[in-house]
Amino acid sequence: MKRKGSILGLIFVFLLAILSGCSGKDTPSPGKESGETKGGDSKKESVELSFWYGWTGPEGEALEKLIKKWNDANPDIKVKGLSQSDYQKQLTAITGGNPPDVASNFGQDVVPWGERGAMMPLDDYIKKDNVDLGDFVPAALSSSQSKGKTYAIPIAMHVSMLFYNKEVLEKAGLSGPPETMGQLKEYITKLSVKENGGKLQRLGLWPGVDAFTFSYAYGGSYYDADKKQVTPDNAGVKAAIEFGKGIWDQFGSSELDRFASGLGQYMSPQNPFFTGKYAMTIDGEWLPTFIKQFAPNLNYGIAPIPYDENNPNLKNPGNVSTSVFYIPKGVKHPEESWKFLKWITEPDQMAEFTAAIGNLPTRTSLQSNEIYKDVPGFQEFLQYSSSPNLHSFPATTFSSEYMTEFSTQYNAILRGEVSVDEGLKRVKDKIQPLVK
Amino acid sequence: MRDSISGKTSLRRKGWTRREWHYFWLGLIFASPWIIGFLVFTVYPFFSSLYFSLTEYDLFNAPRWVGIDNYKAIMKDHNFYKSISNTLFMAFISVPITLLCSLLIAMLLNFKVKGINYYRTIYYLPAVIPGVASALLWTWMLNPDFGLVNIFLRWVGLPDPAWLLDPQFTKPSLILMGLWGSGAGALIFLAALQGVPQTYYEAAEVDGANWWYRFWKITVPALSPIILFQLIMGLIGAFQIFTESYILAGGKSGNSLGGPGQSLLFYAVNLYQEAFMNLKMGYASALAWILFIIVMLITLLVLKTSRRWVYYGGE
Repeated sequence: MKRKGSILGLIFVFLLAILSGCSGKDTPSPGKESGETKGGDSKKESVELSFWYGWTGPEGEALEKLIKKWNDANPDIKVKGLSQSDYQKQLTAITGGNPPDVASNFGQDVVPWGERGAMMPLDDYIKKDNVDLGDFVPAALSSSQSKGKTYAIPIAMHVSMLFYNKEVLEKAGLSGPPETMGQLKEYITKLSVKENGGKLQRLGLWPGVDAFTFSYAYGGSYYDADKKQVTPDNAGVKAAIEFGKGIWDQFGSSELDRFASGLGQYMSPQNPFFTGKYAMTIDGEWLPTFIKQFAPNLNYGIAPIPYDENNPNLKNPGNVSTSVFYIPKGVKHPEESWKFLKWITEPDQMAEFTAAIGNLPTRTSLQSNEIYKDVPGFQEFLQYSSSPNLHSFPATTFSSEYMTEFSTQYNAILRGEVSVDEGLKRVKDKIQPLVK
Repeated sequence: MRDSISGKTSLRRKGWTRREWHYFWLGLIFASPWIIGFLVFTVYPFFSSLYFSLTEYDLFNAPRWVGIDNYKAIMKDHNFYKSISNTLFMAFISVPITLLCSLLIAMLLNFKVKGINYYRTIYYLPAVIPGVASALLWTWMLNPDFGLVNIFLRWVGLPDPAWLLDPQFTKPSLILMGLWGSGAGALIFLAALQGVPQTYYEAAEVDGANWWYRFWKITVPALSPIILFQLIMGLIGAFQIFTESYILAGGKSGNSLGGPGQSLLFYAVNLYQEAFMNLKMGYASALAWILFIIVMLITLLVLKTSRRWVYYGGE
């Protein structure tokens, strides 16, 4: 009996430990941890800024080059870069009251973090220094803004286009890329090849592909700001889901899983598009750079995302996502942080960085810049990035949750676990209560 | 040593002498690092998470009192039910299999053969490897195309599943990974096996009991307290399962955690997602409390039924 008691006690202690592990992180720290103020308090000129960015490897090096340039020109504000791709650490640092002075993040996190008070609004500085926000691509800038406030400056943007394997298309007797969604569907059927045993050898297009991009092709939208309603059940969104579902069901989950299991790594010569296992794919502006590196002999073309034949005014649709720089709330030297942030998003620096990493610039004035001439695929992408039918996912406090839930249910719909209507209703039921 | 014994006996008397009080306080001071740590890092978070579970809290703004709204929302959340069913699957399928497997290994390692110490080391080795490393290792082992597991299965002519890509096979993959590490449990069983008095077996042999009877009537009852301990620890471990799912079905930005068809969305994974990706600390705290209650109930249930099958040497 006595021993059982001690086991129970042991279990209790273990449980406490588990819970404290989970909840220990949510308790707010009092704010002045390890009172280090990064230099600067005594000597008023020399300030050291810490700058956390999410890029690693060669992309991180491209950014370090810019940092060095800044440090050489500004001995009074020394910037120290740190490659830190775990964005949870930024949150921890901000809530702990010891944030980096400037940091990078994804556009979709800006408004959720900004409205909750983790990011410093930049509007006063923008006004004071006359930064022309009109130069930015609207769809890119809008993901950093909410309720009249700008929380971050987008440094790079990403948009997807249709890539197609010219050889494969020619062999199937198709002379050019599909232009409408209806054609795309025919192409997929035509280009998918089954072995005599019924096993898939090649797929026209992976059916689980980006529902966000296609929903803009059908004129869909995810949020009605006037009515304060989330609209995953919107006709355009639904049409995009049904399109994916239609292709998925042509092959079935088990066949697609088997096919997927034999596909190579994305960032390697075995990427299924490079090896011809996908005849077409929807991918971003970085892909041509990868192709140059991993499959230089691939004969491919880049085409606009097909549009809905019933809505020809929605030509060249696309989903924009961004990478941004921001200043966390509670930094010790906001003036200096802003100076650096402003400098690094100026046209020259933005051009140098985005060209080096093969990302699209967010400034329209850069779209004809000479620097992108040698970046593979950029003629098509730069032109595409000024299309009026590009959208970004609506920036709200709940957008990251909304996107996660949407992807989850999209997956469940494809796999036939729920019907299209039921899945989209689930998204709405879960997200609508979060609207304030 | 002597003082602590005298302190204990004196408890039976009415009051403590000054000297005993002196030792009492002295003892408390020596234990204070633990006591303070326990209060600050365990008791305080424990109760503050109860408070947070009744609020809406996003880390940046002050918590806002919402009563039991979080709990109500959880009851309507399909991710909650999905995560519960995935977790229960692991608790009720994976735990017994792992227990059985480690008991089997322990019995094999109890044979007196040449070089048994080397076998023991080899079987224990996987337990030394950290969770993240072994999960990464297994993604290669279970690679559908060129993973060792499927190469072997194809070689013997069995079907080769897509393991980590097929929702039906993701959880069995995790069980397989768990079995690989069952040497740790085997070690505990082995120690217990060696504590079973040989005389029982000898007596049974004289009475003509066969191998099965000796196992069933002597080994299992003698090991039952250890089985109970391992069962409870295994159940708690199953409810906490996180690392494998996070590594194998890691969330890229904007993607949900939980792997294909949410088949690896375990309770702790869902909790992490709500807390640190959706910044819903209040909701996540409520999830933590529900987990606490579930684990508590299951543990109590196991302990209750254990009276029927656990034998302690003294009784």
